[in-house]
This record gives sequence, structure tokens and C-alpha cells, in this order.
Amino acid sequence: MEKYLEILNYTIYGAAILLLLIGLYGALTKKSLIKIVLGLSIMDSGVHLLMIAIGYLKNGTAPIFSPGHENEMSKMVDPVPQALVLTAIVIGFGVTAVALALVIRLYKHHNTLRIDEIKNLKW
Amino acid sequence: MVGTPVLFIVIPLLAAFIIPLTGMVWKNSIRIIPGIVLSYMLVLSVSLLWHITETGTVVEVIAGWKPPIGINLVFSPFSGFLATLMIFLGLLVWAYSYKFKRSIDSEPALKYFILLMLLVTGSVGIVLTGDIFNMFVFIEIVGISGYGLTSFYTRRDSAEAAFKYLFMGSIASTFLLLAIMIIYSQLGTLNIAEIADKMPMMDNKLKVISLIFFILAIGIEAEVFPLNGWAPDVYTQAPGPIGAAFAGIVVKSAIYASVRLVYTMFDLSGALDLFMILGLFTFIIAESTALRQERLKRMLAYSSIGQMGLVMIAFGIGTKEGVFAALFLIFNHAIIKSLLFFSGSYLVYNKKNKYIKHVNGMGKYLPITSVLFTIGAFAIIGLPPFAGFWSKLAILSAAADSKMIVLIAVILIVSILEAVYYLRVINRIYFFPKKESTEAQKPTINALIAMISLGIIIIVIGFYPDLITGILDRAATDLMDKTGYIKDILTINN
Repeated sequence: MEKYLEILNYTIYGAAILLLLIGLYGALTKKSLIKIVLGLSIMDSGVHLLMIAIGYLKNGTAPIFSPGHENEMSKMVDPVPQALVLTAIVIGFGVTAVALALVIRLYKHHNTLRIDEIKNLKW
Repeated sequence: MVGTPVLFIVIPLLAAFIIPLTGMVWKNSIRIIPGIVLSYMLVLSVSLLWHITETGTVVEVIAGWKPPIGINLVFSPFSGFLATLMIFLGLLVWAYSYKFKRSIDSEPALKYFILLMLLVTGSVGIVLTGDIFNMFVFIEIVGISGYGLTSFYTRRDSAEAAFKYLFMGSIASTFLLLAIMIIYSQLGTLNIAEIADKMPMMDNKLKVISLIFFILAIGIEAEVFPLNGWAPDVYTQAPGPIGAAFAGIVVKSAIYASVRLVYTMFDLSGALDLFMILGLFTFIIAESTALRQERLKRMLAYSSIGQMGLVMIAFGIGTKEGVFAALFLIFNHAIIKSLLFFSGSYLVYNKKNKYIKHVNGMGKYLPITSVLFTIGAFAIIGLPPFAGFWSKLAILSAAADSKMIVLIAVILIVSILEAVYYLRVINRIYFFPKKESTEAQKPTINALIAMISLGIIIIVIGFYPDLITGILDRAATDLMDKTGYIKDILTINN
């Protein structure tokens, strides 16, 4: 029983990698531009989940040194990945916004969202 | 006047946000402020580059958090040289496009200059930062402003090129984050110097995996062979001067990042061979593809990719001579390819599709631009009185010192291909009759100033290579000195 619980601790990593692969699959195989942007966004979320999972500690406390709790450093959740993921989420949001703006431009220009019909340049 | 490295990031970023405000009061300020900012940065970086020859590397601690905890900026001979080169090119791109979109209203020009400032900020940031996550942030700044600049013209197929670039770019950023997290989970640090210091403790398999993710991510930005599908379209669709900015600024920063990884962070001996193989593939395939191009800008783009392959080969040799040759190639490629993009844009100005045949007979109608293009072409082929000759010589002698005879043969054979497609264009410029329908566009004064100053630099370096070799030599020594880099950063106590 203990062993199976051990595995459960790693499910979050599995979920993160699964999200990453789903996103990559969507971005590479779908024909609709919107779905490609969705795929890229899902892929980003997968990495963000992985980052959080790396810093997470079961039953951990907030990384604040307060009086009476000076020696609990080993119990603290690592704050660095959370700071990083905040930055990464903002960047991912920006990139998604730019991507959608480009999709609108492409739609106005070609009147279609299917990527195989937009091929003025060599793909 | 000696500034601190943080000014190189703060000032252009501030300018990018201030331009729209001042533009509401005085319209011309959106064109003038970037120039003032970039010239100030150039003065700062040249004086700082001068300063560090006496005092050694300058390390700036941000917000009082000493490395390895806080973010630090490093102005070493190597990163300082690249930063100075980028700022100089940024200034020239500004000078070239000073009158950009003058005839229309101010809004497109406003966006153009904001994005240009952000592009310079991001690239200089990549070069100066000593923190790997910070580097990721700067790569994203470069990426987003690059997408914006690529899709600048609404009437061309630019949105298509920009979407392609964005697609590759966001996959690259995902891989980069993955690689950074693998390293962080193993070593518990994001500081490049500390990662380099602790790298022997890391498991070899994870080391290889993270290196592969890094090379995949940065290879996309650095136009390495199988990952460079976006580059020719971006160069073709973006405004003319932005092609020069990509070739001279963006790609250089990506090359810096990959070199910093392989030379400083990772201690894998096979990494240099990987560099060499990727470089060879890129060089051979890009140059032979350039031979088949019918559009001028696409040809220049493939030539640019090929030159980056040559730079990677030179870094892959791994000796100090090799690094010296690579830096010389970086310098030459930056000034020569910018000149080619600048003058080439005028040769095919306002032509739909920008075919090479549009340059027919331009030698008579645009004499100065044609001569400058010819200087650039001769220099990049590596003919003797120009700057390009010395860098080709440097890489060949570096290869000869390392007993890589096959490499010399490959470089020379591919250089012939290069000569063929450049001389073909020059032949058309001077010896083909001009078509009646094509109309020549005279370059503006500021564009002429930018082009002529580049041409003068190419010729002066060609006659007096000693002017630049001292700086390059110090930069090469600095890059090879890994323990010095670690010591400089981790023992800082100001």
C-alpha cells in the first residue's frame, strides 16, 4: 500500500508531461489556426504545472521566517519556482494574445483559418 | 564617463515606454528619441569596454542581492564586445529608417520605433545577464517584438511569416523552460556561474537531456539548420532594415546564448562536436539553397543562415584560434550583412516579390547604392581588400592548426557557391540592360549615411585588421576562461 501511495506523489509530474504532449500534438497536427494556438497554450500550461510540482513539498509551509519558526527551513515550499511560474504565465499570456492577433490578421487576409489553404509562403 | 551595465537595459526600455507619451506632445520626438538613446548607449558601452581593459570584468548586482541569489549583469570583454556591436547596429538601423513611413501618419512609425527599442533591449539583455531565467525573459522580449516587426506591413504576407515565427518561437520557449527547470531541480540555482560551478554534480543523463532541450530552443532562434524554417520568410516579409536587425542583433544574441551554454555551463566534451556538426549542416545546406533562390531578400536570408553555420563551425573547433575566428566572423557578418540588407532593399525598392532580376541595370541609376552592395558582396565572399577576407583566413588557419583538413576543403568549396550567387547579382546590376518598367528609388540622406559608414568600416578593417583584433583577442580569452568567469561572479563583494 505504501508503495502505491509513493507512486501517487508522482502523478502530478505525469499530468504535467501529459499536458505537454497533448499540447504538442495539437499544435503539430491540427489544421485550424485557433486550435494550433490552443495547443501552444496547453503546452505552456504543462510546463507551468511541472515547474510548480518541482517546488512543491507535501505538508510544507509558507517560506516565511516568523518568530518561533526559525528552524523549519526544510519544511518550507521552495518559493523560486512559484516566482518563475508567475513570470512564465504572464509571458505565455502575452504570446497567446499576439498569436490571436496574428490569426485575426491572417483571417482578414485569406478569409480562412485552415492552415493548408494559407500557403503564399513555403511552409 | 563610466556607467553601469544595468543602464543598457533600463534606458532603452524606459525610452520604449516614453516615446508614445512624448509623441502626443511633439510628433518628431518618436523618431529622434531612439537615436539619442542609442547614441548615448553606444558612448556608454564603448567607454565601459575601454574601462574593463584596465579593471577587468564589471559585475553588477541588482537590488542588493548578491549572486548566486540575485540577478547579476556581467560586462566582460566577450559580452561587452557583443553588446557594443549590437548597440552600434541598432543605431545604424535607426539612422537608416529615420524617415520611415514619414509620408503616412505617425502611428506606424511609432510602433516601429517602440518595437525596435524593445528588440535592442532584449538582445543586449540576453548578452549581459548572468541568470538563466532572466535570459529566458529577454529571449521572450526579443521574440515578441520580433513577431510584431515581422507582421509590420499589413498588405504583404507578413502575418503568415510572423505566425510561423511565433509557432517556432513558442515551442522554443517551452523547451527552454523545460531545460531550465531540469537544471533547477538538480542544482537548485539559476545563476549561470553557479550552475557552471556545480555542473559536475549533475547526473550525466539529465545533463544530456537538458543540453538537447537548450540546443533545440536556442537553435530555433539562432537559425540552426533543421530549425530555421521561419527565417527566410521573416527576412522577406519584414521591413528592409529589420532584416539587418535580425541578422545583426537577434541572431547574434542567440549565438551568444548557445556559446555561453556550451563553453561555460556544460562540461560535456561532445557538445563541441555537436556544434560542429550542426554548423556544417547549416552552412552547406543554406549556401546551396541560396544558390537556387530567385528573390533577393530570400537569397540574403539563406546566405545569412549559412554564415551563422560558419560561425558555429568556428566555435566548434574549440581552440582559442577557433573562438577568435568565430568572433571575427560575428563582427564581419554583422556589418557586412547589414550593408547588404540596407543597400539590397533599395535595389529592389517597391517591387512586388523582390526578384533578383529587378536589379538589372541598377548600376547606372543608383550608382552609390550599387557600389555599396558590391563592396558588401565582395566582402562577404572574402575577397582580399575587404574585412571579410581576414575572418575567412582566421577560420581556415584555425582549422589548419587543429589538423582539420576536410573542414578546410568544405569551407572553400562552399565559399565558391557563395561567390557564384553573389557575383550573379553583381553581374545583373552592372551588365544587364534596365527594364523599362522598373523605377529606381533614390535612397534618403540618412540611409546613405548609414550605408556609407558601414562601407567605410568594411574597407578600413580590410586594410587595418589590427584595429579590431585586440578587442577580439581579449573577448576570445575571456570566453575560454571558464574558472575566471565563475570566480568573477561568485566572489563579488561590493
